[in-house]
Amino acid sequence: MSGRRSRSRQSSGTSRISEDQINDLIIKLQQLLPELRDSRRSDKVSAARVLQDTCNYIRNLHREVDDLSERLSELLANTDTAQAALIRSLLTQ
Amino acid sequence: MASADKLINTDVPEKDVFALHFLQSLSNLKTQNPLNSPAKSIDRVRKIKKAAYVSMARAAGGTSRLWSRALLRRAAKDDNKSVRFSRRKRKVTWKISSKRRKSNNQRAPVVEEAAERLRNLVPGGGGMETSKLMEETAHYIKCLSMQVKVMQCLVDGLSQK
Repeated sequence: MSGRRSRSRQSSGTSRISEDQINDLIIKLQQLLPELRDSRRSDKVSAARVLQDTCNYIRNLHREVDDLSERLSELLANTDTAQAALIRSLLTQ
Repeated sequence: MASADKLINTDVPEKDVFALHFLQSLSNLKTQNPLNSPAKSIDRVRKIKKAAYVSMARAAGGTSRLWSRALLRRAAKDDNKSVRFSRRKRKVTWKISSKRRKSNNQRAPVVEEAAERLRNLVPGGGGMETSKLMEETAHYIKCLSMQVKVMQCLVDGLSQK
């Protein structure tokens, strides 16, 4: 069952993570952020900046989920099950 | 390499799986207590929100990720149910040891400060070592944005009358 962790060569969990590995992870995160995604070719963005923007992005997404939950709640209250079933069939296709 | 693993731990968030789970929970919510009772509006929003996050965690492979595991655990705790993850019992090894904490402090303080804030945002992030935290965060973001997209689709679909 060690397959999932096979990526890290130094198999012992206590080994120290190298700065290279951290940098790789920072770049991976950066590519997921809409604001920083495109700046990757130009200047190197600092790790702190990437992490800060990651926090902001997650907060934004959480807020969007809040808003969408509210809207869904309103919509579902005014929607009969037939319509919900229709949407369901559309999505599962 | 490790193709069998990839089959279990899909890295790409499963949009369809999420949508299916979410819709299932929504219709369950509707049958359990009719949604058109205005007095319970806030409660309803909370339940929908919770259903969305739980569905996302399930779509992300249930307990195979630290964040989804933490999220499901929190949700189950919220339900006052006893939590049992019998299928994948793994020893908790990502706790920060005092030795590791010391090595972390050698990193720029701004980085650790930002990482600390991230720990509060990612489910289960509190106990994660920085590199693990970043790995989990990347996956969490992918799933979250997928969740937002599907929910937006649903809202748009239901809005067209």
